Amino acid sequence: MEVNETTMKIEFILNDAPISVDVDSELLLVDLLRDELGLIGAKRGCDTGVCGACSVLVDDKLTRSCRTPVAKIAGRTVTTIEGIHSPDGELSDLQAAFLEFGAVQCGFCIPGMVLAAEALLRQNPTPTRVEIRRAIQGNLCRCTGYQQIVDAIEATARRRAGLPADVAEKVTLLE
Amino acid sequence: MQTRRYIGKVEVQNVDGSDKVSGRAHYVADIHLPGMLHARMLPSPHPHARIARLDVTPALAVPGVHAAITQADFVNHGRFGWPVNDIFILAHEKVRYIGDPIAVVAAETPEAAQAGVEAIILELEPLPIISDPARARDPDAPLIPPEPPRGEGNLCERHILRHGDPAPLLETCAVLFEETYHLPHQEHAYLEPEAALAVPEPDGGVTIYSSNQSPFIAREIAASTLGLPLEQVRVIQPPVGGAFGGKDETLYQCSAQVAKLALLTGRPVRIVFTRTESMRTSYKRQAAAFRLRLGADAEGNLQAAQVHILADNGAYGAGTPLAMWRATMHAAGGYRYQAVHVDTDAVYTNNGYAGAFRGFGNTQATAAIEIAIDELAHRLDRDPLAYRLQNCLRQGDRTMTGDLLEDEVGLAACLEWVRARSEWDRRRAEYAAQPADAPTRKGLGVACYFHGSGLGGEGLDFAVSTLTIEEDNTITLTSGLTDFGQGSRTVFSIIAAEVLGVALERVRVLRPDTHTAIDSGPTVASRASIVGGNAVRVTAQKIAQLLDFAAADLLGCDPSQLVRDGEAYIGPTEEPHTFEEVVTHARRLGLQLSARGRWQAIPIEWDFEKGQGKPYFAYIFGAQVAEVEVNRSTGKTKVTRIWAAHDAGTILYPLGALGQIYGGIAQGLGYGLTESFRFVDSVPQALDLAHYRIPRAQDVPEIEATYIRTHLRQGPFGAKNLAEPVMMATAPAIVNAVFNATGVRFRTLPVDPARLKG
Repeated sequence: MEVNETTMKIEFILNDAPISVDVDSELLLVDLLRDELGLIGAKRGCDTGVCGACSVLVDDKLTRSCRTPVAKIAGRTVTTIEGIHSPDGELSDLQAAFLEFGAVQCGFCIPGMVLAAEALLRQNPTPTRVEIRRAIQGNLCRCTGYQQIVDAIEATARRRAGLPADVAEKVTLLE
Repeated sequence: MQTRRYIGKVEVQNVDGSDKVSGRAHYVADIHLPGMLHARMLPSPHPHARIARLDVTPALAVPGVHAAITQADFVNHGRFGWPVNDIFILAHEKVRYIGDPIAVVAAETPEAAQAGVEAIILELEPLPIISDPARARDPDAPLIPPEPPRGEGNLCERHILRHGDPAPLLETCAVLFEETYHLPHQEHAYLEPEAALAVPEPDGGVTIYSSNQSPFIAREIAASTLGLPLEQVRVIQPPVGGAFGGKDETLYQCSAQVAKLALLTGRPVRIVFTRTESMRTSYKRQAAAFRLRLGADAEGNLQAAQVHILADNGAYGAGTPLAMWRATMHAAGGYRYQAVHVDTDAVYTNNGYAGAFRGFGNTQATAAIEIAIDELAHRLDRDPLAYRLQNCLRQGDRTMTGDLLEDEVGLAACLEWVRARSEWDRRRAEYAAQPADAPTRKGLGVACYFHGSGLGGEGLDFAVSTLTIEEDNTITLTSGLTDFGQGSRTVFSIIAAEVLGVALERVRVLRPDTHTAIDSGPTVASRASIVGGNAVRVTAQKIAQLLDFAAADLLGCDPSQLVRDGEAYIGPTEEPHTFEEVVTHARRLGLQLSARGRWQAIPIEWDFEKGQGKPYFAYIFGAQVAEVEVNRSTGKTKVTRIWAAHDAGTILYPLGALGQIYGGIAQGLGYGLTESFRFVDSVPQALDLAHYRIPRAQDVPEIEATYIRTHLRQGPFGAKNLAEPVMMATAPAIVNAVFNATGVRFRTLPVDPARLKG
């Protein structure tokens, strides 16, 4: 047991529900989520805050949980991938679009990507493809080359704005 | 032909996607068991040293520590490795690279385990290092492997190709071209770091959850080094967060380590690498130098090639011997020659170690030859795309190894497609007219590839599947080949559903598990869809035949008279019967509704001593055009567009196939522009993802990709492999585009911005 260890009570909103935890003030949010609360959707990919796999939303802002001490989220609203779903608990339109447009391969970056996209769409409902790429710039993916992720986010934005989006247009086939 | 329901349909989605997109998928690091211990590893801090003293007993005195292991805890020091048997579960007698695992400690918490690691007494006596592969065979070079595998010091492997005799042709041909190309080490950088979890079993055995590519190989290595019979070791593969060839040897070490610790402590034990541990300890794509001599006649027709390859396999053989065989088989590219000789040496150094990585030697070979062909076209004052069309392989030609191409060859069609879609002629003319002093300069470059399908001469190319109709009429499927993100599980599902004529939702692929699936060799070489897919097809056909018997009996007709409407079976006179009714009737008839099927590629024969034979049963082709913008004041190259065409035969799973092209291109873009895993005096220079830069979303351009649909007789539904070759054209296309933009020719990857300034 370290001598200087200090535990403190932190209260915040996690996935729409109030929560109170007694934690070491130095504890990182990713460790709280994964190791204490069993919310494994936030992944440890780099330990240095460059890969984005641990992303969560703090007050709607994309945040790296591996660089965020739990003390910093007192009184704030935290949304993890486990808090992203449609009202009936099924996949959200954005998550469904990730599948529809082929944006998921190994899947390790995907929770962070979905949250990065959600943060973008809450702030800019009609982003261009360039703006989408900028918004997911902090989230590394090694499998997909990003294009189908951009397709999925673009399609979700269009549909939320009442415009059509069709995966068939993204597939160029020679007969 | 009956209309297909799933094969080639853009509506088919990844069967594991729902779990992954909702964060429910449990990778190894997400599995937590009561009483589970955490393991941490002691890596070598030195690139080459004798282990003078190693004492783990002080670690055992650290509070919370339960066990600490070294090579002494394994049978025969934990030695393994194929085709070269030179690696250990934990370092034996020597350490051979920085990151070489020496000891592992299991404790109640990761922190306690780390404290245990730090308490270990380790004394190393530094040995001379080899950091330059060209010096590995000097007379005074220190020997790195336990013993010389080929009786020639640090020579790890040698391969030759002898097709005709290029020497007289090169002496007399009108144009002779000679250059050397240097390709760097590349880090896989899968997003999920290595992880393995072992659970001790009541029977004295052990179950290992491992984020590896090939569970049957992990089982064999764990069993042999632990001294357990195969059936007492079970390896399960949970979802794997990317591999690209990189989750073999390192994971086999981790799997055996945690298994031993679990057996010693009687507790579940898990190891999860940090990113730095992953980058330091795991193997890389091998760095290699290619010396190419090409000869052409006065019209530019290629006549002969001589290639010398020197590859840096680092401290251990791992995947390098076979990867360099593949490099040898492709070193002169997808062109017609009368004669080709290739001589390849892979040598030991202390620069980490190298192994399998997407493309498996052909990524390096294609980069070298495709830059060379571009240089040759330039010297001949020929358009580089037209020059490739003049010399590229077509049906009826012989490859550089002398193999006759009997199947359709889509290479020219791929080149024509990227030429048309990129508006090659217009853009090239436009960029040729750019003012010499323009602050940013645009360029367009092309590269193409050929790639032998499957394992070829590397080993027996087969797979086995099982399929069962369960009591609730769902269908469970196993394959001995696995999915680490590339989509094989989706491909297997749609092939089974297509053959059986059932709803895709009925089919469930079990997680890869050595206790339920059948050993099918390694999941490598882009072979899962072809070889594994064929095994699923033949297995499903067995059950389909049984159901046809049952349906015909139920409907009072001959099986040949059956028609399907959705899942229903319809005979000539009767009402339709549902799938469930047919299955129930089949059971009533006493039929066994489970099957096992095996598929094996046509045996090929390669004589490694003579360097002659048939290396592969089929080939895959493709071409890409890259457009770049070079900023002459910063030297920075931005890729602005890529057009890609891949001859993939029949496309089984379009969204997945497109994803392979896009993802492969992104990895190739990194290989061309930023990714060099550098060693200085055998010390790795970047051990995190801030300093080793893989492409981000804004670094990758919009890609326009297509499949050229030729037919491969042996593929399931005529499909060909695609995961690896799609990355191979990207880096050379970018290098060739940079030359088109600036006149600066790069023969060393990645592109160095300093040379492009001003």
